Amino acid sequence: MRKLFALLSLLVIASMLLAACGGTPAETTDEPGAVDAPTEAAAPADSGTEEAKPAVLRVNVGTYPDIIDPQKSSFVIEIATLKLIYQGLTSLNENLETVPGAAESWEYNEDATQLVFTLQPDLKYSDGSTLNAKRFEFAFLRNIDPTTGGEYASITDEILNAPEWRAADASADDYNRDEWTAKVGVKASHADGSDCADYEDAACDTLTLTFSKPAPYFHTIAGIWVSYPAKQENIEEGGDLWWNSSKYQIGNGPFVMKTVEPFVRQYFTPNANFAGPAVPSYDIEYLYITDSAVSFEAYRNDEFDVIASAAEDLDAISGDADLTAQHITWPGSCTIKIQFSLQPTWNGMPNPFTDKKVREAFAFAFDAEGWVTDVDGDLSSPTWTWIPPGYPGYDPESPLNFNPEAAKAALAEASEEFNSAEKINAMGLKITFGDTPRNRQRTEWLVANYQKHLGIELGLDPVDTTTFTALQKDPNTYPLLSRGGWCADYPDQQNWLSVYWRSDTTFASRPGYVNAEFDALVNEADATLDPVKRAELYQQAQQILLNDVPAAFGYNSLNHYMVKPWVTGYQLTPQDAVFPGDTLPWTITVDASMMP
Amino acid sequence: MGSQPKFSRIEAVVTTYLIRRLLWLIPVILVVGAVTFILMHNTPGGPWDTDPERRQVDASTVQSLESFYGLDKPLWRQFFAYMIGDFNNKGEFVCGLPCGNFGPSYRQRGVPVQAILFSPPEGEDGEMRPWYYSRFGYSLRLGLIALVIAISIGIPLGAIAALKQNTIVDYVSLLVATAGVSLPGFVIAIFLIIIFASWLDWVDVVPRSWDEIRVWILPAVVLGFGTLAFTARLMRTSMLEVLRQDYIRTARAKGLAEWAVVIVHMVKNALIPVITILGPSLASLVTGSFIIETMFAFPGMGRAYVQAIGQRDYSMIMGTTIIFAVLVAIANLSVDFIYVLVDPRIRLDE
Repeated sequence: MRKLFALLSLLVIASMLLAACGGTPAETTDEPGAVDAPTEAAAPADSGTEEAKPAVLRVNVGTYPDIIDPQKSSFVIEIATLKLIYQGLTSLNENLETVPGAAESWEYNEDATQLVFTLQPDLKYSDGSTLNAKRFEFAFLRNIDPTTGGEYASITDEILNAPEWRAADASADDYNRDEWTAKVGVKASHADGSDCADYEDAACDTLTLTFSKPAPYFHTIAGIWVSYPAKQENIEEGGDLWWNSSKYQIGNGPFVMKTVEPFVRQYFTPNANFAGPAVPSYDIEYLYITDSAVSFEAYRNDEFDVIASAAEDLDAISGDADLTAQHITWPGSCTIKIQFSLQPTWNGMPNPFTDKKVREAFAFAFDAEGWVTDVDGDLSSPTWTWIPPGYPGYDPESPLNFNPEAAKAALAEASEEFNSAEKINAMGLKITFGDTPRNRQRTEWLVANYQKHLGIELGLDPVDTTTFTALQKDPNTYPLLSRGGWCADYPDQQNWLSVYWRSDTTFASRPGYVNAEFDALVNEADATLDPVKRAELYQQAQQILLNDVPAAFGYNSLNHYMVKPWVTGYQLTPQDAVFPGDTLPWTITVDASMMP
Repeated sequence: MGSQPKFSRIEAVVTTYLIRRLLWLIPVILVVGAVTFILMHNTPGGPWDTDPERRQVDASTVQSLESFYGLDKPLWRQFFAYMIGDFNNKGEFVCGLPCGNFGPSYRQRGVPVQAILFSPPEGEDGEMRPWYYSRFGYSLRLGLIALVIAISIGIPLGAIAALKQNTIVDYVSLLVATAGVSLPGFVIAIFLIIIFASWLDWVDVVPRSWDEIRVWILPAVVLGFGTLAFTARLMRTSMLEVLRQDYIRTARAKGLAEWAVVIVHMVKNALIPVITILGPSLASLVTGSFIIETMFAFPGMGRAYVQAIGQRDYSMIMGTTIIFAVLVAIANLSVDFIYVLVDPRIRLDE
């Protein structure tokens, strides 16, 4: 018995010791060339002294990123971290227009098959080392390199020989990386065209991209995260987890990654070497609470300055005048739709959605405003078009809207086999969804909506969320009816129309959308340099798309956040991802004196 | 001289028993691995499936990724590559599980699973921290603390409830036990957060660092509450049974002090069934912290496991499942040894 008690005592002591191990956090060591900016090391301890509080924007990001690597990341939270540390060749302004970033200018050749960037003079990384065009060359090449395996590798496929290199078998005996890098249309040089020496060559300020087809929109793509110039030597030295280390995440963005506590927090300080419009005046702390109830409680306890508001918090917010004043919403970057399968058959039967009148009936019968109110608690906005507000190409004119009478009329005009609710009901149509409580609620609302406005009874077809994605990848299993959408990678009509709806893209081909006239228009627009003519072509293409009704365009996402009153100056754009104004974070002010 | 052969015999028995039980781990791991492998590969979807509202991984990228990670090989070969090893595209043999290689995480693009679970992150000075800062280390520490809380409160609570049967103490014990068994962890968590973080301001809602012991208390209490409740009920039942034994009456008749009767004769004997549940409890506390990790931003293994299932990160699913299986086996083995310490009637060689 004594032995047992000794064992239990040891267990108690050991666990306490283990928990307490590391008790005092190690002191922060300044990185070489680190900026002279307010840092968390300056944060007052509980000493009771009257030190000024540092201005820190404390943001609940939610889920911790899986990977924070510019050429491998793809999720919003991953990109939100990268945006703090790095800056691309171009940036966006408050109107989502493409403006200079690390490059001070860019120029296309006559047919937009070549794009030449000239970098800003004396660009530096946050550690003070030189940032030249060769770093961006490395970034583009690494994105294309098949051994990188980035999910967004195909976004630079306009670059000459990029798709071919991506598809190459890197394990083949005859594979030669150097041959591919020489063939691909990415080249860093001096202004006179001569070769750059190395990464220290400060005169290496020109990056030339050669395309396999005209790409007058590519200067906008050159600003997204895949072009961020992570240092080659840091990636190589840091190993598999280089990206999770403040030692190796040295960038040229508005902030410096100072501390990484995986799954708990990341801390960023301003980068004095940032070449953007202004160096931010505050630190940022990213924290990772995924439970919305805990997040809201922490916000109310003044432990967060910014959180995304959740539908379940809305009652508490509306019942409190202060919280109501702190709740802000603005247009987001996504359009969500009820997608119809356009494949010829479904379950061995003729597919009713191959009949345009049936599609029209379903589109007219979708009560988008009811959805926004009943399902999303006004945290989305209704739409009847594809490109959302705030993005180039947004056109509120649409032949579609919520009109139950028009819906019934359209159904009556459908072909003989589908022209009544009874005939459709006899087919036992189902709506497929990734089975989460939220999605179930949404889908049940849709079923009730179509029953009410068209008399059509839809069955529920819940599947595991990853299964849902897998079903959508194969035209043969593409769900007859499903909820889906698209969120902008970058603000250009090409990203909304050509990337998504052109018949040779995966998104259009899986449900089976084909329209030769639409394809011709977007192809022409993609190759047109004149921005006015280009916009007109895209507008015509969008009208064709709306007339074809490949989906019931339902609603746009809204960004919805709680923001403390001491956070001001943010300029909101639909591209903001994890806090208001994160596209232009240097405009934000955090008044630490107001913090409790 | 006379005790030497006896000691050697005990040592031999323990060693043989240990080896036998450890060898049993091999078929256990193989069966767990096979079942997991079959289940995950029969579930639709794959590691390259991404949010349908975002750009999808290009077909040629998928092809090169599958080739790079060996996912284009037949399933049986993938299984043996994981469980034993296989030759890579360059003809080199890559040792699998026997060498501690749990495979690459597909979601984290090649980062070894063992690095994700067992490698600690760097500290603020850029130096590597000790192993217990790894995800496994965090889960183990939280599980141990939760177990300590559960048994250090549950055992006395159950014992006192039995001694004070049908009094207010017994009813409070019953209330705690019922609450512990019936209330889900996330409900208890949010209640405790509101009381101790928002109202009393004793701890922060959001922990910034897990180096302070006070931030461990709420998650450990929430995690251990169910085990605490179960332990208390089991201890109470066991004590009530012991209370009525003849040897207790005999001890009292011999004039032993009441504390000696309770501690030496009652609690000791009543502990045996409680010890039975300690092994599985520790294993479930170490592995079952998903809710806690979600509520408290705790950097343990549970969330990685659940996310891996959703993301079809096959190596991560296999690796974590096998680690959990080994933990359960080791915990049960430990209980067998503790049994021998407590109950002289039990022998390892029987």
